Amino acid sequence: MRSRSGLWRVAELPTTRAGVERAFSYFTAGVRLGTVAQMVPAVQLGAARSPHEAGYLACWGAAALAAVAVSVVTLVRRRPPGTVVSVLDFGLACTLLVLGPLVLAPRDRFGTWTAFQPGYALSVIITAGGVRVVAVWAASLLAVSVCYVVYLGGDVGSEMTSTAVGNVLTYVVYALVARMFFGYTRRIARDADASRARAAELARREEERRAQVMMHNGIAVMRLLTEQGDDDARARLVGQAEVELRRMRSYLRGRDAYGADAEGPSVGLVPMVKRVCDRFADLDVVASLDLGTGLRIPAAQAEALERALGSLLLNVRVHARAREVVVHLDEGEGERGGWTLTVHDDGIGFDPASVTAGVGLREVVVGELRRRGLGVAIVSAVGEGTTVTVRSRPPSPGTGAGPGDPRTSTVSAAFSEAASPGPAFPDPAFSDAS
Amino acid sequence: MRPVVAVVDDASLIRESIGLLMPGLDVVAAVATVEELERLGPAVDLVVLDLHLANLERQPDVRQGIAALRALTGRGYRVCVYSQEERRFVLAACVAAGASGVVSKALPRDRTEELFREVAAGGTVVPQAVVGILEVLVRRDCITVLSERQRQILYGRARGLSYAQVARELFVSESTLRGYWYDLTRSLSDSLRGLTPGEIEHALGLAPGDLMEFWAEGSADPADRRRWWRIGRTH
Repeated sequence: MRSRSGLWRVAELPTTRAGVERAFSYFTAGVRLGTVAQMVPAVQLGAARSPHEAGYLACWGAAALAAVAVSVVTLVRRRPPGTVVSVLDFGLACTLLVLGPLVLAPRDRFGTWTAFQPGYALSVIITAGGVRVVAVWAASLLAVSVCYVVYLGGDVGSEMTSTAVGNVLTYVVYALVARMFFGYTRRIARDADASRARAAELARREEERRAQVMMHNGIAVMRLLTEQGDDDARARLVGQAEVELRRMRSYLRGRDAYGADAEGPSVGLVPMVKRVCDRFADLDVVASLDLGTGLRIPAAQAEALERALGSLLLNVRVHARAREVVVHLDEGEGERGGWTLTVHDDGIGFDPASVTAGVGLREVVVGELRRRGLGVAIVSAVGEGTTVTVRSRPPSPGTGAGPGDPRTSTVSAAFSEAASPGPAFPDPAFSDAS
Repeated sequence: MRPVVAVVDDASLIRESIGLLMPGLDVVAAVATVEELERLGPAVDLVVLDLHLANLERQPDVRQGIAALRALTGRGYRVCVYSQEERRFVLAACVAAGASGVVSKALPRDRTEELFREVAAGGTVVPQAVVGILEVLVRRDCITVLSERQRQILYGRARGLSYAQVARELFVSESTLRGYWYDLTRSLSDSLRGLTPGEIEHALGLAPGDLMEFWAEGSADPADRRRWWRIGRTH
């Protein structure tokens, strides 16, 4: 809307803090101009009753001019006046208070706007949001209070004493409240900006991660395609490249192949695993999937698992130098429930303690699968190959396999890791491909 | 010490070259048929046997496949099948028929020699695909003779873990575990031989009749010998 352009266009605020300062500028200008508005009706009467009319008008004019000037500067700068301007403002207020007894009739000093000086001083106190240094702020407040006492002059001790004390306390209390208001609001704005920056950073990282996950396998396939190889090897890779190409296209179009909904239509686990293994016929993959016949998993989980399995086998092809790869699927028995997919290669393995996981293992395998609610464990040692275990449902404490359970005895390390959501072992041999 | 080996393969190039290419083996006989080996009767630690021995040109009616395997095991030979065969039920039939090892011709030479030596030394080499079948049969209670320790070993081996890895998990030495594995595979092959096609089909979730091609009774009819992979339960 045209009427919301310019100063009022909140959407253009670069930060919450800038918005808060702009709001403070509106508040300051409003208070100061409001004070002038309150002063205007009494100026004629005040001048008429003043013992020094010219002096009264000069004081009134200085106050009005200062209020208008501060308001304009504040609106233009879009923030409250700074320390220097505020100190000058306080100085003017003090001066006006001290001169008050000279330009005001004695009976006008309390309860009338012909005596505009105390009200003007209060407006200065309330709008001193730009004074950040506590000492300057406290000294200014003290100065105004002392000047107010001077302003009262011989009236102290009279029947108006209680009113005078109340006015001084008003200065103090309003000054404290205003300072707390400015300070607390600024702190909220800082937190909001920090949160906004963090949210933006997290979104950037998430997008980066998604891109890595989507591109990783495709890049690995392209890398293999560019290397020397016979026609058969290239033909196999072309098939995989087409799969990865479809995946990357979906990403670039802004949608995942199966969507982000984990409750999507279910997918047969055995056909999916078999399909991936068939793409790696050159690896001598032995797929023992009979124990998982009939298993179905949500489409989104299947998508992540297919990508992870593809990434694992790509890594085996590029790095592991394995003679044999065993892909084993097992539907759990009895109370254990769930299913377990094990990918074992008898390749060179790696030392998990001395290498850092690459994108492939860290994001495509561990990160994505855990995000889909699957447990992942990677066990490897130099010269002993690598075993990656994916579980549909980590066992809850107390329901784990007993000592006599073959699962506990043979691959306890893998399962204990899969059962806990802790970090997976880094992936050494795979770091290049990742 | 080099194991003494006999080779039975209808491909002369293969049977003649094994002794030359695998210096760790002492090949004392390299013949084209099981019948010829029976006639020679050499004393060997291991017979390396090709499954497909019949060929129209030179030996159309010789024994081959499961029948050949049984003929040799029946004479007390340790047999290691050496074949390009990849159908897992055919490989399982070989194990059920008493083969101590099944080695693919697709493996590299040094690995092949290593596996031959392992079988000759009393070990067993069971293809990973067959280990998977055996695990399913055990899990589905088709084979129930296993002890808890044997089930643990089968569990690890079915997932591809090496002898050393399984041994470490079970706190036994690798040589002890190899002994366990030998006993286990003997026990499993005996049990496997006793199963009917229907029992195996049921355990593996196959449709009735799916295994007839592999597990049907063999026939004495020479015309039926082309189905050499049938395990049967006689012969």
